[in-house]
Amino acid sequence: MLPENTTAIVARNETWTGEAATEPHEAGWAREAVIFVRALKQPTGPQPKARVEISPDGMHWLAEGSEFDMPTGKDAIACARVSNFGNWLRVAADFPGGSHSTVLVTIHLKA
Amino acid sequence: MTDTPTARELAEAMRLAMLRADPKLSRFDPLPRIISHDDFSRGHCGWSQLVGNYEDDLDTMLPGYAQHTSAMLSTLGHWDAGSHGGYDSSYALKIATRPKTGAQNVAIKRLTFRKRCPIRFEAYFTFKPEATELKLSETDVRSVGFLFDLQGGDSDGDAERVMPHLRFLNALDGEHVQKWQFKRETTTFKPIGATDKTLSHYHLAPDGWEDVPHGAQRLCYNEIPTKINWTYLRFDFDLASMQALSFQCNDRVFDMSGFDSIRIPAMKNLWCMLNFAFFAEADTNKRAFLYVDSVCVSGDF
Repeated sequence: MLPENTTAIVARNETWTGEAATEPHEAGWAREAVIFVRALKQPTGPQPKARVEISPDGMHWLAEGSEFDMPTGKDAIACARVSNFGNWLRVAADFPGGSHSTVLVTIHLKA
Repeated sequence: MTDTPTARELAEAMRLAMLRADPKLSRFDPLPRIISHDDFSRGHCGWSQLVGNYEDDLDTMLPGYAQHTSAMLSTLGHWDAGSHGGYDSSYALKIATRPKTGAQNVAIKRLTFRKRCPIRFEAYFTFKPEATELKLSETDVRSVGFLFDLQGGDSDGDAERVMPHLRFLNALDGEHVQKWQFKRETTTFKPIGATDKTLSHYHLAPDGWEDVPHGAQRLCYNEIPTKINWTYLRFDFDLASMQALSFQCNDRVFDMSGFDSIRIPAMKNLWCMLNFAFFAEADTNKRAFLYVDSVCVSGDF
C-alpha cells in the first residue's frame, strides 16, 4: 500500500496579529511535514519570524527549532521542513504592534 | 420435510455469514452493497474539510464555513493516559472545533449515487472537549452530528436538494440536554461574489433545530475528559422517496415518522449528489472533538 500523504489546511484567510498561531494539528502518523505560509494580502508593518512548535498534548507548546521569515508581499510563500515532531504541530508568530498578515497555512504530511 | 432454500436465500445467508465472520464488518449491519467502509487506519478515506463557497475573494466565504479546518487522523492522545486508540486500530478521524463558544467544524465525504435506493449510514463515534481542565467537562461539547447532502438525477422529474440533519444536542449554554434533534431550515441563499454563478447558505446555523420525538438519550460519557467509549449509530434513508426510514443509536431506535430534511430546489450542478458529513460544535471556549472510528455506508442496489 502506498504510504499516507495528505495536505491539511490549518488556517485560511485568517488575519494574524499579536501572538498568532494555527490550531493544533495532530499528525503522529507522519514522518515528515512541510509547512507553507502564504500571504493572501499585502502584509502590513514589519513581519516577524514564524516558528514551528511541538507539544506533548496539543495544549502546551514549545519551539521545535525551525524558524522562517513571514512573507513580506502578497502571494509570497515561506516554508519550513520538519521531522521527528511527535504527535502535534502548529505554526506561531508574534507580530509587533500595528503589524498583521492575512495567511493561508498548509501542512503537507507524509508517512 | 425441509423447505429447499432459494438461490436468493442462499446468497443472502452466505453474505451474512461472510459479514459476520469478518472482524472489520461484523459490527455493522450493511445493506447488500457496501458503498464505502472507512476505518481510518488507511488514511482519511476521502473525509475532507468542508470548505465554503467563494468567488474571486476568500472574504466572500460565509463565516460559518471560514472557521473550518482539516480533519485529522488521531490516536486520541491524552496528556494523562497517552493514546487511547480507536475501536480496533490506532486511528480515528478527529474533527476539532476552535476554542470558542458556538464554534463548529465539519468533515465531508463526497460521492454520487447510481441508483435511488435505500442507503444505510453506520458509524462508531465518540466526543470529548479538549482536556484543559481537571474536571468532568461533560457540558463543554454543545453537539455532534451528521448530515447528508443529496440531490436527484438530472432526468428525475422530482429532483430537489435534500439535506437530512441529525445532531446529538449534548449541552446548551451549560445545561446538559442530551437529546437528538433534526433540522428542516437553512439560512437564505446568498449570492457569493459578483456573478450569479455561486450561491451559499449556512445549513448548520444554530436556529431551527427540532426535537426527535422521544429523542432524549444518555450516552456513555465516562468519568474524566480523557476516557472515551465508542458509540454506534445507524441512519437509514431512502434516496427514491428522499425520506428517512430509521435511526438507531446504541440500544435505542427512534421514531422517524415526524422527521424531515432541509429541502431546497434542485441546483444546476449537483445531480446525483451523495455527500455525508460529520460535525462538532463547542458550548464553551474550549475545543470540541468529535472522533469517528469507522463508517460503513451501504445501499440496496
